[in-house]
Amino acid sequence: MKLIRKVRVKNVLGLHTRPATVIVKLLQNCKSEVTFACRREIINAKSILSILMLAAKQHSQITVTVDGEDAEEIMGKLAMAFDSRFGE
Amino acid sequence: MTSVHSTEVWLLGTPICRGIAIGSPFLLAPRDEAVVESSIAEGDVEAEVARYRKAIEGALQELRALQSRLHKEQIFDGAAILDAHVQMLQDPLLTVHVEAQIRNLNKNSEFLLKQVITECQKKFQTLEDPFFQERFKDLQGLGRRIMGHLNACNSLCLNEIPAGSIVIADDLTACDSAEANGIYVSAFVTRSGGATSHAAIVAKAKGIPYVSSVDIDSICRDAKTALLPMSIIVDGRTGEIVINPKEETLQKYRTLHSQLQHHMQKLKETGKLQAETYDGYLINLSANVEMVSEVELIHQFGGGGVGLLRTESAFLSREDFPSEEEQFEMYRQFVVKMDGLPIAIRAFDLGGDKYLKNHPASYECNPFLGCRAIRFLLRNPKIFKSQLRAILRASAHGKVSVMFPLVSALSELIEAKYLLNEAKEELKAEGFPVAEEMLIGCMIEVPSAAVIADLLAKECDFLSIGTNDLVQYALAVDRSNHVLSALYAPTHPSVIRLIRLIVNEANHHGIPVTVCGEVAADPRFTPLLLGLGVHELSVTPRHIPIIKNAIRNTSIVLASKLADKALELSSAEEIEELLMKEYRRNVPEDCIYNC
Repeated sequence: MKLIRKVRVKNVLGLHTRPATVIVKLLQNCKSEVTFACRREIINAKSILSILMLAAKQHSQITVTVDGEDAEEIMGKLAMAFDSRFGE
Repeated sequence: MTSVHSTEVWLLGTPICRGIAIGSPFLLAPRDEAVVESSIAEGDVEAEVARYRKAIEGALQELRALQSRLHKEQIFDGAAILDAHVQMLQDPLLTVHVEAQIRNLNKNSEFLLKQVITECQKKFQTLEDPFFQERFKDLQGLGRRIMGHLNACNSLCLNEIPAGSIVIADDLTACDSAEANGIYVSAFVTRSGGATSHAAIVAKAKGIPYVSSVDIDSICRDAKTALLPMSIIVDGRTGEIVINPKEETLQKYRTLHSQLQHHMQKLKETGKLQAETYDGYLINLSANVEMVSEVELIHQFGGGGVGLLRTESAFLSREDFPSEEEQFEMYRQFVVKMDGLPIAIRAFDLGGDKYLKNHPASYECNPFLGCRAIRFLLRNPKIFKSQLRAILRASAHGKVSVMFPLVSALSELIEAKYLLNEAKEELKAEGFPVAEEMLIGCMIEVPSAAVIADLLAKECDFLSIGTNDLVQYALAVDRSNHVLSALYAPTHPSVIRLIRLIVNEANHHGIPVTVCGEVAADPRFTPLLLGLGVHELSVTPRHIPIIKNAIRNTSIVLASKLADKALELSSAEEIEELLMKEYRRNVPEDCIYNC
């Protein structure tokens, strides 16, 4: 199953080290392919370096694509993580 | 050219971490040795992949060992920073991708790794935000670490340098400062790096003097012969570096250094001393803790107990609330480790912006004024009861008291007590041993609670002032708001008056008051809090010595006079000045350290 959803970065410092670490840890055992699209770039969300190089600031809009058997569960967790400012 | 470095030269940098060091400079050269590109024969490709994997594994093991060391040294921030590095080492760009390149291009690991890092460097450099740009340093450091494992002879551990060295470098990574052992590295001097950099955070936690923004070329002017001066002095309080110090300068700093050592030693020895003023007024000096490993420090520094056990921290990374059994086990371990000393366990301070994955708060546009702490607990009685049961069961093993967070109305305290009593009766009926008289405390963190302190004091056994939250709510200032940082002032007259109000009401009803916020760990506040009538101060364990010292260096008479004076002043600045003057007078030795 392939799910696509738009989320917003709420964190004041953007997707910096802490949120990036939260994301990759969340996706550690995920069976789906996950990408983030921001501005004109598309990156592999399981790569912490790629997330950091995206340098997504506060209020950026990110299109999350999850493609695979656990897509629903993963998309739900990701959406919640973004929404809760990754616990900050 | 004159004989190199015969004159005393003073440099000025940015002080990052206080302290004084006198030693020989050690130049930490960047380990970016020229990387040789070589081709790998088809039959050797898998062996090359295996070699690269081994290097990554080696680097990963090193980082994990570093993290574990930082944990033991109680430097939790540092360990968390390394978490990101551990994730980077497992990034597909550095693992899967490089391995694929080895197989596709038949080239050696060093060359391909360097390529990946250079590509990332280009990307990082295009980012406008310097904060994100900084992250490349972490990657660079990791690259060096992996290279070190690929070429075993090139790696240089910071523990292999001469003891007492002053490390000079262009820049430092968190791993560098994490690795540094206080015996080998007596100070860091760098060309760049800020006070909030990860390396600085770790250096500060370890207490290694650190000065940055120094023109390090001036230290090693004769780069060709790489002749470094014989000795340099680093003053981490002022940011001054002295190259080739004259005898009298050396003497001055040697004296300062030994005074500092003496002072630190004295502080360490306060463990055996009582937390009482010099006219014999005894204060309860306890600790704010989250992990069982912190209890050891309380015994070492002679603390009187735990004034605040934050129960939610251990479970924040979990998906769901822990079971009663799990909680009981954790609380029991704490109580046993306390070895007879009292421990105040605070119920979960969760909800709003701090929550567990399976219990997300519904969207609140203002989480600080939302369903948190006691409000959350009373609306989730199953979770609350489960925790209360665990705490009650633990009470059979030692001196346990329970505290309710963020109480803002009397009804909340009454309801919580009712649930507690219900839990107690249930446990007794089920045959569990519980303490007959477990003390109940009410946290005062909200102005409304402070104003009705008299009503709350009638219904509990002690009050605990959480000044961090109280100041924010009372002054209506978000502490993390940089624009308003000047407005957030614990010395605001309203805060002093609120504390006085709370203590007065508590005294009326014969119950004690604890202060467990950051101001409790600030030695400038100590006499003020004592003078206002606070009976207990609860601080992070490593602050116990300095606060005990502050207590011992004042008298309750002077403290009361100070409090009276403070209550007459009309601005935060005036009160801060008053406290500072008193502090310099009572504890002048602290000031060598704080300058």
